[in-house]
Amino acid sequence: MTQSPTLNRRSTSSTPPLPRKSRQRGADARAGYTFLLPWLLGFIALTVGPMISSLYLSFTNYNLFDPPKWIGLDNYTTLFQDERFLQSVGVTLSYVVFGTPLKLAAALAVAMLLNSKRKGQGFYRSAFYAPSLIGASVSIAIVWKAMFGDSGPVDQGLSFFGINLGGWVGNPSMTMPMMILLTVWQFGAPMVIFLAGLKQIPADLYEAASMDGAGPVRKFFNITWPMLSPVIFFNLLMETIHAFQIFASAYIISNGEGGPAGSTLFYTLYLYLRGFSDFRMGYASAMAWLLVIVVGIITLIFFKTSKSWVHYSGDAK
Amino acid sequence: MINRRNFLTTVALGTASAAVLAACGQPAPAQTGSASNPVTINYTWWGNDDRAERTRKAIALFESKNPDIKVNGNFTDFAGYWQKRATEAAGGGLPDVMQWDLSYLRDYGQRNQLLDLGTVKINTDAFDKSLLPSGQIRGKTYGIPTSTNAFAVYYDPAKLASLGIAEPDGTWTYKEYNAFLAEVGAKSNGALFGGTDYTGIWWMFNIWLRQNNIEAFTEDGKLGFSKDDLKKWWNQTAALRGTPAIVSEERVTQLAPKSPFGSNVSATESTWDNFMAAYLGDSGAKELKLVPVPSDDKDNLGLFLKPSMLMVASAKTKYKDAAARFIDFMVNDPEVGQIFKTSRGVPASKTQRDGTTFEGTDKLVVDYEKSIEKYLKDAPEPPIVGFGTLETSFKRISSDLNFGKVTVDGAADAWFKEAEDLIKQNS
Repeated sequence: MTQSPTLNRRSTSSTPPLPRKSRQRGADARAGYTFLLPWLLGFIALTVGPMISSLYLSFTNYNLFDPPKWIGLDNYTTLFQDERFLQSVGVTLSYVVFGTPLKLAAALAVAMLLNSKRKGQGFYRSAFYAPSLIGASVSIAIVWKAMFGDSGPVDQGLSFFGINLGGWVGNPSMTMPMMILLTVWQFGAPMVIFLAGLKQIPADLYEAASMDGAGPVRKFFNITWPMLSPVIFFNLLMETIHAFQIFASAYIISNGEGGPAGSTLFYTLYLYLRGFSDFRMGYASAMAWLLVIVVGIITLIFFKTSKSWVHYSGDAK
Repeated sequence: MINRRNFLTTVALGTASAAVLAACGQPAPAQTGSASNPVTINYTWWGNDDRAERTRKAIALFESKNPDIKVNGNFTDFAGYWQKRATEAAGGGLPDVMQWDLSYLRDYGQRNQLLDLGTVKINTDAFDKSLLPSGQIRGKTYGIPTSTNAFAVYYDPAKLASLGIAEPDGTWTYKEYNAFLAEVGAKSNGALFGGTDYTGIWWMFNIWLRQNNIEAFTEDGKLGFSKDDLKKWWNQTAALRGTPAIVSEERVTQLAPKSPFGSNVSATESTWDNFMAAYLGDSGAKELKLVPVPSDDKDNLGLFLKPSMLMVASAKTKYKDAAARFIDFMVNDPEVGQIFKTSRGVPASKTQRDGTTFEGTDKLVVDYEKSIEKYLKDAPEPPIVGFGTLETSFKRISSDLNFGKVTVDGAADAWFKEAEDLIKQNS
């Protein structure tokens, strides 16, 4: 959208015989920019500006009150000697590595179930999407904490089957499964995208495969997976980036401390604590920029490897 | 007059209006108001609903006596309170008057965020002269103590009686205290824990240091104790961790932000004596009692009166006079004492203390502070910059210790590394 006005302007100079129409287009562009202005101003003032100043602050010692002191790369180098930082990296990575694939698998499985023609599918689709509408909210983290607490429904349900784990919230080795279950349960957004992708796959492919005697497993790996691969790629990318940014639910469940025993000390939570509890804004800014760089690199790797497994329709291969 | 509905709206709008006030700074409003055109100051505090209700009454009383000033109230819990102040200070929008904690006085005072209260009119004649320095840094007064509190061990006599355990008389060594905790755990078959791990509480450590004649911090803002001192301290309860003598860290985490003692999970708790009202409310117990903390030196209990909270004003307030009048009222007025009783601690100002009638559990708290009078030492100076952070990491690392994630040596190393790093940052 933002590109089209530039293109139009270029066409004005190269094709002079259409002055009236291009003047019209220029006016359109101006109107377009005018409508865009509120967003653009907000984007520059509230996103680009703070990002640039945080880049500067990441090279300083800044405690919110005194003017920032330039210390070069010190923040970045001390990061790697900070045990809590390394712990937060470990916690976040295990969440991304285990949580994201599980969430996508759940989303794809439900999308395939909802794709079949059955009575009342509309209702089921809404019902399965509902958790992600409320999933990111504070209230659901509170509910989750109560569900997995001492003698909460989960504890009681499991002890009915003779499994006595106690409360998950206070047990350092159970908090990660709990956090992963919370994200898996919010599969709605990727599920809807999968569903749209599944509807795009021509039915005659499946028909032809059936005639050739292919079973459901064969159909999934030879038709569904390759045809859906661009959508899978998109979801994988988005969900991975989201997973790196997990904050609110961890903050609520651990009372903003990242406990028990640092087991919910996610990257962004530690960043927040460094900035707003310890007044180490420079350090926190360095952490933020490191996250941006790492997520950028991971995205790049995803794009590079995608060539070998993502098939776009119309590709020669 | 303010009614309940007005007040709630005020509380809800508190933050919003603070932002608006900060935003429309330019046309300087009048320094003083009049009854027909009052000035409005913002006041913020931490605490629970009980304190909110008492504060609401105190504000209403202040407004009826000072028709030219309106007070906007706003409150949160303790942990969130400091994160919010940090953000406001960064934006230059601290509320006019704030309830403050000794742990954070240097962080804000030394960085010119708080008003020097020596420049405004606040009456401190009725204050014990040894208490005022706790609100002062380098000769400037940044905070006026509202009240004092002292450390104590709480217990529930009914619970001890049901287990057939004699009530402690408060003259105990650490060994005897440990044996007591173990006895509770053993006799209750684990149904009731002895207490939380007291070595995880910074102030207990500080008191123990004082019992051994060590100051926690030196005058130039360095640590006054060695890593070996800290190891010795954390080893005090090494044999008790993981037994019913000490509340398991899993339970502590589950119950947070409520305390195990308030949740009837443990028989004792060592903390400040002004927690009485909160514990009574949380636990529903009929009666709770207070005894001094253990000491291996019978003549030196290491105890002191600490300002339980201070009143401070923002350095950027536009209504210095109104802020000073409100602070003066909150710390000196006898009727305010009557409203808060001992829920803020024992009133620091003699005028306020004498004007308050203490009955029932409030009397217990006052009597406790009287009973330890002969052991009291000078109040500590405001701790070093960043002390709040050190206190938090002390608690966190002891919690790791109870989870069995680190050894005592590893825990001491970790805390010292964080402390030295922080002191270096702020020097």
